[in-house]
Amino acid sequence: MKKILATIAKEYILFRRDVGGMVLLFLMPAILIVVMALVQDAPFKDYQEMKFDLLLADNDHGSLAREIKLGLKESKNFNIIDSLNGIPLTSERLEQLLSNGEYRVGIVIPKGATAEVVNAANIIANSISEKIGMGSLPHREVRENTYIRMHFDPATKPTFRTSVSNALDKYITATCSDMLVNRLSKLGKTEGDTTTAPKEDFKSVFKGIGIKEEALTQKEYLKAINSVQHNVPAWAIFGMFFIVIPIASHVIREREEGSAVRVQIIPNAYRQVAMGKILFNTIICSIQFACMLAIGIWVLPMLDLPSLYLGLHPLVLIPVTIAIAYTATSFGYFAAAIFKTTNQALPFASIAIVILSAMGGIWVPVDLLPGAMQKLAMISPLHWALDAVHHIILRNGGLDDVAVHLVAMVIFGTALWLVSTYLNSRREHSF
Amino acid sequence: MSVAVEINNLKKQFKGAWTPSLDGLSLRMDEKQVTGLLGPNGAGKTTTINVLCGLVKPDSGTASIFDKDCSTQQYYLRNIIGVVPQRIALFSQLTAWENINYIGQLYNLKKPVIKERGKHLLQRMGLEAHAHKRVGTYSGGMKRRANIIASLLHHPRLIILDEPTAGVDVQSRALILEFLKEYKAMGKTILYTSHLMEEAEELCDDVVIMDEGKFVTSGTPSALISQTPNCEKLEDVFLHYTGHSLRD
Repeated sequence: MKKILATIAKEYILFRRDVGGMVLLFLMPAILIVVMALVQDAPFKDYQEMKFDLLLADNDHGSLAREIKLGLKESKNFNIIDSLNGIPLTSERLEQLLSNGEYRVGIVIPKGATAEVVNAANIIANSISEKIGMGSLPHREVRENTYIRMHFDPATKPTFRTSVSNALDKYITATCSDMLVNRLSKLGKTEGDTTTAPKEDFKSVFKGIGIKEEALTQKEYLKAINSVQHNVPAWAIFGMFFIVIPIASHVIREREEGSAVRVQIIPNAYRQVAMGKILFNTIICSIQFACMLAIGIWVLPMLDLPSLYLGLHPLVLIPVTIAIAYTATSFGYFAAAIFKTTNQALPFASIAIVILSAMGGIWVPVDLLPGAMQKLAMISPLHWALDAVHHIILRNGGLDDVAVHLVAMVIFGTALWLVSTYLNSRREHSF
Repeated sequence: MSVAVEINNLKKQFKGAWTPSLDGLSLRMDEKQVTGLLGPNGAGKTTTINVLCGLVKPDSGTASIFDKDCSTQQYYLRNIIGVVPQRIALFSQLTAWENINYIGQLYNLKKPVIKERGKHLLQRMGLEAHAHKRVGTYSGGMKRRANIIASLLHHPRLIILDEPTAGVDVQSRALILEFLKEYKAMGKTILYTSHLMEEAEELCDDVVIMDEGKFVTSGTPSALISQTPNCEKLEDVFLHYTGHSLRD
């Protein structure tokens, strides 16, 4: 025990003096977390709560345009601009503003759009009434090419176009449906006197059918789906594996300068020194993870981002953190064991971290990877690490939910440790 | 006088090496003596030391220190031998004092003992003023002296020094030799390798000359000089037995 404690104290001194290693371990992931959370916050808002300026040129001036404007204004996503400096927008002016990049998106409601929708609704209503013996509404043949046109700034990303176009489509379809329901209501009233007219309000009947998101259970309730919840754990885990680089560097340096052999000729020291190193680096790595979570909780809100939520069982993060740290530390020893020089080990370590993180879902969720890659993800410790943390902070999971992950990470870490020990024993250490 | 080190027919060939490092080496070294193990580059001196420390397993033959087998009784032997390797086997990012403190703890020494011995050795080696500087910033001579301190903290019965004065200035060499003489006077057993024949002649009670992994000759420096024809100093004896051909 004395040797382990002495090694921890010595590793602490070395760590304190390795400014580069400290920067790599603490500052780099901190920057990654802040930058990635900020960068990826924008796409999240694209789809969820960001408010856009929407140019609207109304050539129709009918009830369809009025309903669309009303619906869009009521939505949280669009800020309707239908006139500039008191002059109503024309379709030419709208296109010009978009081409200049001054606005991102605009719609043009063509002349006669209301009449066309009313006509279409009448045709549908008549078709229904014919079958049930009700009266009919006036209508004419459907005219072609009466589209509500949507225009985008050419520089907008396809994902942005898709999300905005879906949102607009939703409002326009809803407005058209409302008009159809109104026509059906009207049809009922034209058939007889008011006493025999249908009592039901068609709108209220249709409103009973809709989509509403509800939590499955309390356990699966997601308190916050936002960029912080996804980015902070992902990049913090990625950052934890940076410890591979200073560990590999220290171990190889000690081997090269001969101090590792000195330890070897001291009775009973070698294993305890190794344990001391593992313990120390596991502690450092765990502290690093805690710091990154702290950034998510307290620093990111200062940058107008949501605060990181740690789930209903935040204490479960402790064993998970230790398991991740142990795995990362063992990986560092493995990198040092398989290579002779730092020139070989460090590039390997850096590239391996990136590859394992990509495989493990740090960059792109594993569910979006091809089938073969999803299977390969199982061999990445970062996958188990990220999934365990997601269970805790996104799915409010407890210890039983991450037990398999803990076992997988400990097995992975121990396997690497045993392989490193075996490779070291095969390498002849001598003066 | 009892035997400190006994080596019998030791053989060792490393993987990929063209010739064996040790090719049937046999030698004997008495206790409380300073024995010089001399030989040209590649003679097998460092391999012999590695075998004595239990770091390298011989292909055949035996080596024992104070009647304990070097291959099987490493735990016991490592407590009673102190090795000063040719490389500076210290943690370069730590100060001399931190190295002493850490290595002392690995030898299970108590903190007051480490403090007392460390202070004494630092003073004796002229490093007291630099104790709190990182070893990596030391000059070659300072590193060599610190290397010796780290190997003597546990008061070993046998001290093995592999070219302890290689690449140091005259002042450091003089200090190291003076220090070793003091140790010899304390009754310690010292095995010492060097390329510097004058140094060996001055320090050693006995010398063993080896070449190409084999024992060549041994004796006191004065006896070797007198017994070898046309030799006035140990260097002549060395060249007489090992020849003038260059070694790589």
